[in-house]
Amino acid sequence: MADVAVARPRTPRSPKSLTPQQRDARLGWALILPAITIIGLLVIYPIIYNVYLSFFDVSLMGANTFTGLENHIGVVTDGEFWQAVLTTVIYVIFSVLGTVMLGLGVAIVMNKEFPLRGVVRSIILLPYVAPVIATVFAWQFIFDPVRGIFVHLTVEVLGIVQDRFNLIGNPKTSIIVAVVYSIWKNFPFAYLMILSRLQAIDASLYEAAEIDGAGAWHRFIHITLPELQFIIGSLVLLRVIWNFNKFEEVYLITENVKVLSIYTYLTAFTGSLDLGRGATLAVIQFLILLIFIIYYVKKVLKW
Amino acid sequence: MVVQSKNILRRIGFILAILAIITFSLFPFIQMLSTSLKYPADWGNPSLIPERINTSAYKELLAIGQPEPDISAVPESIRNLLEEEDITQEQRDEILARYVDTGDIFPFLTYFRNSLVISLLAAFMSVFLAVFGAYSFSRLQYRGRSLIQRGVLFTYMFGGILLLIPLYKVSVQLGLLASPTGTFLALLIIYMVQTLPVSLYMLGNYFRTIPYSIEEAALIDGLSRLGTIRRIIIPLSMGAIATVFIFSFMIAWNEYMFASVFLKSFKNIYTLPLGLRSLFDSQHLIWDRIMSASMLTAVPVIVMFMFVQKRLVGGLSAGGVKE
Repeated sequence: MADVAVARPRTPRSPKSLTPQQRDARLGWALILPAITIIGLLVIYPIIYNVYLSFFDVSLMGANTFTGLENHIGVVTDGEFWQAVLTTVIYVIFSVLGTVMLGLGVAIVMNKEFPLRGVVRSIILLPYVAPVIATVFAWQFIFDPVRGIFVHLTVEVLGIVQDRFNLIGNPKTSIIVAVVYSIWKNFPFAYLMILSRLQAIDASLYEAAEIDGAGAWHRFIHITLPELQFIIGSLVLLRVIWNFNKFEEVYLITENVKVLSIYTYLTAFTGSLDLGRGATLAVIQFLILLIFIIYYVKKVLKW
Repeated sequence: MVVQSKNILRRIGFILAILAIITFSLFPFIQMLSTSLKYPADWGNPSLIPERINTSAYKELLAIGQPEPDISAVPESIRNLLEEEDITQEQRDEILARYVDTGDIFPFLTYFRNSLVISLLAAFMSVFLAVFGAYSFSRLQYRGRSLIQRGVLFTYMFGGILLLIPLYKVSVQLGLLASPTGTFLALLIIYMVQTLPVSLYMLGNYFRTIPYSIEEAALIDGLSRLGTIRRIIIPLSMGAIATVFIFSFMIAWNEYMFASVFLKSFKNIYTLPLGLRSLFDSQHLIWDRIMSASMLTAVPVIVMFMFVQKRLVGGLSAGGVKE
């Protein structure tokens, strides 16, 4: 009998009796829980709530009235919505193309050694780092019809155009300014990503090509571009997602370019405060993006 | 000879390309600085170097050497009331503010302070939560870990506009937007959560580069997991933590959309982006003030960036970024 008593485990059930793996798992959950809870409450829940709101005529303080698909039908039969979609698509295509192409060019130039390269690198990053609000007014001044240097150059110095013109104020041309601003703001990001990949390309590939007599252009097409294919593919995806959702970079430079985010913002928060319609627009905007992402990842990136 | 001249041409082309890149990147900043220092009469002059330096816009924004408020518009009886001994300075200012026209004064310093407080707090809270969260999913093994990690990345896809309407509606219903304090808190938490996924991701990536053997030795010596975070992980990651902090700070410092919707009822708690925008909307032809305010808004961010440039660049190209 005494033997049995000795063999019985003495230690009571406490966290100490857990295996190290179990303790790690507990601690792991405990440490991530605050972050997950906050993300759940302030990101996941609002998104679901946003979908819910899209089925209602939303009242800010009182009760919401269920309206079914009325908001959704209202949106897709509204010409202004399709105009906003078109504006967004044009904005995204040109801003992303410009950003990636300029980023590629700058990365190729900056991949060579030269004196003061470190300083130039810092300077290139400034547009990306500086706040949007702190840089939009300078761009507006540059394109100002009366005092701006752009109009001064094109009209008075170069004489390309006869009369002074208001590029930002004219709804037809203001998208050009929005695209130029976006390219200026974001090319440093593209440049950084491309440069980091460029520097990883094996130099012996170029040496071998040179021995075979390949020129600079040939080397670029047959070595550099294939090596960059993946990074450029991912870069385009990221920039499309971000530029598609952009609000500040467009709204603060000109209110004339009504991309989807701005259209939604104006619908929800100006005039009659149509929050239900705004929520519907936000959902539709997200769905459009999602369809693009799935198509792009499957067909273009072939993941 | 032919080879040599070709090389020279190539060299010139290269130098021109570098100069073009520098000009394109810097020109708006130079324009900003130049206009902020020009007198209104010189605004139309395309030269970037001001003929005469005008620092009055900076002085006005920073409230340096501003004249005392003009009290000639204050009625006699009120002036007598102000002389009374038993009212506090605060009440005196408040009474005065009703009679003296302050519509022309742009409270830049107030907005600057608001932006500073909300950005510092949001960044601090975000980094604090992210250190523990990132340690959890980069170091500890448990079920659901990779799901959490992927879920965090997934939030990159959502634009702010998708969260704006529901968060606004909820905040109104909770009564948060009825008072300046509640409004400020609501915005603070929103800023924190906006930066949290990026902080988690960046710190997680960094923690994985710290050799586990260092931690293992400490664990064998009897240090607890929390002890290793405090004594080993945090000290070894100070650089990365500072970077993530500054990155989060910048996101809050730059944000306009949420601020414009949440803060619209309370001018006193406007952040800089909102303040600058209202300055631009309210009065015309004040380019010197707009440009000097732009400079003063950009400078803190640029200075901070210079401190952590190397690491931030590494983080950016490793995908640790959200726009």
